[in-house]
Amino acid sequence: MTTLLQTLEALERRPMRTFLTALGTALGIATIVALLAVSGGAQASASKFLNLGSSDLGLFQRDAADPTTSVLPLALVGELRHTRGIQAATPLVLLVGAVHRAPGAIAFGAYPDSFVTDRYVFLAGRMFTGDRQVAVGSGLAAQLHLQVGDTLTIAHHRLSVSGIYHMGVPEQDDGAVIAFGLAQKLAGKVGEATTVAVSLAPTVSRTQGIRTISRRFPGLLILGDGVNAPRTGVSGVLLSRLALVLAVIALVIGGVGVMNTMLMSVLERRTEFALLAAVGWSGPQIAMRVMAEGILTSIIGAGLGLLLGVVGAQLLVGLLGASEYVAPNVTAWDLGQALLVGVLLGVLGGMYPAWRAARLSPAKVLAER
Amino acid sequence: MPGSKVEVEKLTRALDGKVVLRDVSFLIEPGELVALTGPSGSGKTTLLQLLGGLDRPTSGRIMVDDIAVHALRHPTRYRREVVGFVFQLHHLLPALSAQENVELPMVAAHVPRRERHERARELLDEVGLLSRAASLPSSLSGGERQRIAIARALAGQPRLILADEPTGSLDALATERIWELLASVRQRHGSTILIASHDRGLLQHVERNLAIREGVVFEQGLDANQSDPDAETPPPSGGDPHDHAPANA
Ligand SMILES: Nc1ncnc2c1ncn2[C@@H]1O[C@H](COP(=O)(O)OP(=O)(O)OP(=O)(O)O)[C@@H](O)[C@H]1O
Ligand SMILES: [Mg+2]
Repeated sequence: MTTLLQTLEALERRPMRTFLTALGTALGIATIVALLAVSGGAQASASKFLNLGSSDLGLFQRDAADPTTSVLPLALVGELRHTRGIQAATPLVLLVGAVHRAPGAIAFGAYPDSFVTDRYVFLAGRMFTGDRQVAVGSGLAAQLHLQVGDTLTIAHHRLSVSGIYHMGVPEQDDGAVIAFGLAQKLAGKVGEATTVAVSLAPTVSRTQGIRTISRRFPGLLILGDGVNAPRTGVSGVLLSRLALVLAVIALVIGGVGVMNTMLMSVLERRTEFALLAAVGWSGPQIAMRVMAEGILTSIIGAGLGLLLGVVGAQLLVGLLGASEYVAPNVTAWDLGQALLVGVLLGVLGGMYPAWRAARLSPAKVLAER
Repeated sequence: MPGSKVEVEKLTRALDGKVVLRDVSFLIEPGELVALTGPSGSGKTTLLQLLGGLDRPTSGRIMVDDIAVHALRHPTRYRREVVGFVFQLHHLLPALSAQENVELPMVAAHVPRRERHERARELLDEVGLLSRAASLPSSLSGGERQRIAIARALAGQPRLILADEPTGSLDALATERIWELLASVRQRHGSTILIASHDRGLLQHVERNLAIREGVVFEQGLDANQSDPDAETPPPSGGDPHDHAPANA
């Protein structure tokens, strides 16, 4: 407790040095937080993309850059329907960034009698009929103040709102659904679909279903509730690897920064540590004092880094123009991790300087003038 | 707290191949106030650092009461509990207030905070600087800094106080005040005190004067007019330092 207070005071009396050391740590932590937030957000968005019932799976093109750019041939739907264990299969087209005044909303192209749209509960009006109508999710309707009969523009097409549905899946409630054929036309995917939603027969377990499908159609990425699809698509994998590499680099930079500054600070204050030894401080006591300084500085840096990281994540996503698919989310766990990393940096970066400080010979140092 | 008895026997210290202290032997009785005089480079600091457990001898013995200082593997406790060191340069920590500087040895000794504050303030009062408790060293005069350093040396309630030219940079008046302070410390606490100094005024406050010339220690009279303690003369007995008897033996 005393050590802590004295350390705080010591840091407070060297505000510039403390700030600069902390900044080094902060940049490291900020990079990590930003990358964690972005890649975590990408993962979360992608796997929720088609959040279907527990016996359903979403099939995408495996080597697509990300799920929204997946392209599947429509012929696949027929083959799937004839696969044992599959009760139903229906194609969907996803239109991203096409809804006027709601760039984050996803428009689904679907058959109005598919098992996916059958589950919609209509709060007002009913399902669309034909190419002139659109059914709007409750979230999107609230956002745009839409009522049945209003007009919604999707990809420059003016459509009349036929009904407002609720599904319980944010991605779908914040979006809209239109006729499959119209969506194909708007997306330029004639004869193709973005994804095929599959409903398994009640007698078939998820694992069995996934195994059957992946064996028969090896080019497919299978997504679903609880299906472990760690990263979806090529860009997701790249993003996660890049994030790891950058995080390691950032950590090394942060750690070396802390060590460098702590070492400078120790060398600069050799007489101080030699004096402590001379008045009866033990080696471990002196080392603790240096470590405490390193750790405290790193924690301050971690706090600063968190702020920078959260802000930086938004900026990064904005810069990449990826805000439709990626919602940076910083969880309490991220905060905890950042603090933990801060402490670790302080310990690692402070170790060698602490050892140096504890080993100074008081006779030699104090006789210098 | 009674002062320590200091017994030094055939103490030798070589630094980088150069013999800085040569076969030094002397005895200081508990509670004595002793001056250590000698020209610059004669080995005063080296001797005090050996006595204070800050350095280890090349050969020879240092007994402080029943502690074999020359053989201490872990001198931390000895430094903390037995010795109070006043350095040639005050070596106060610039970032800490006067009171915090005085508390440093007690922090190492895990003295509870309240008691630490109390004792530090008593000591500051004793050196006449209670009103400057919160001041940083940079805002204190040279004499005030040395008095803080003396208060810090007293914090561990030492039985042996070693002061290395504590008045090096002070004027005559401030110097005299330091000598009076150290003499009163001896009066009040009964500590054994050894002071290295060039200042001839010190001799009026001490009962013994150990002189050191080129690493050899011998007893010298207190008559200030007898000889210049800083003169570059060889020891009175001259010749081989092994010849003359240990001081006070
Ligand atoms: N680390 C060292 N390496 C080599 N020689 C040293 C070292 N420290 C001190 N000396 C030498 O030892 C001798 C005694 O030094 P010391 O500092 O003990 O003298 P002193 O009497 O305290 O002098 P002053 O009055 O100037 O403080 C000097 O000749 C010095 O050059
Ligand atoms: Mg000296």
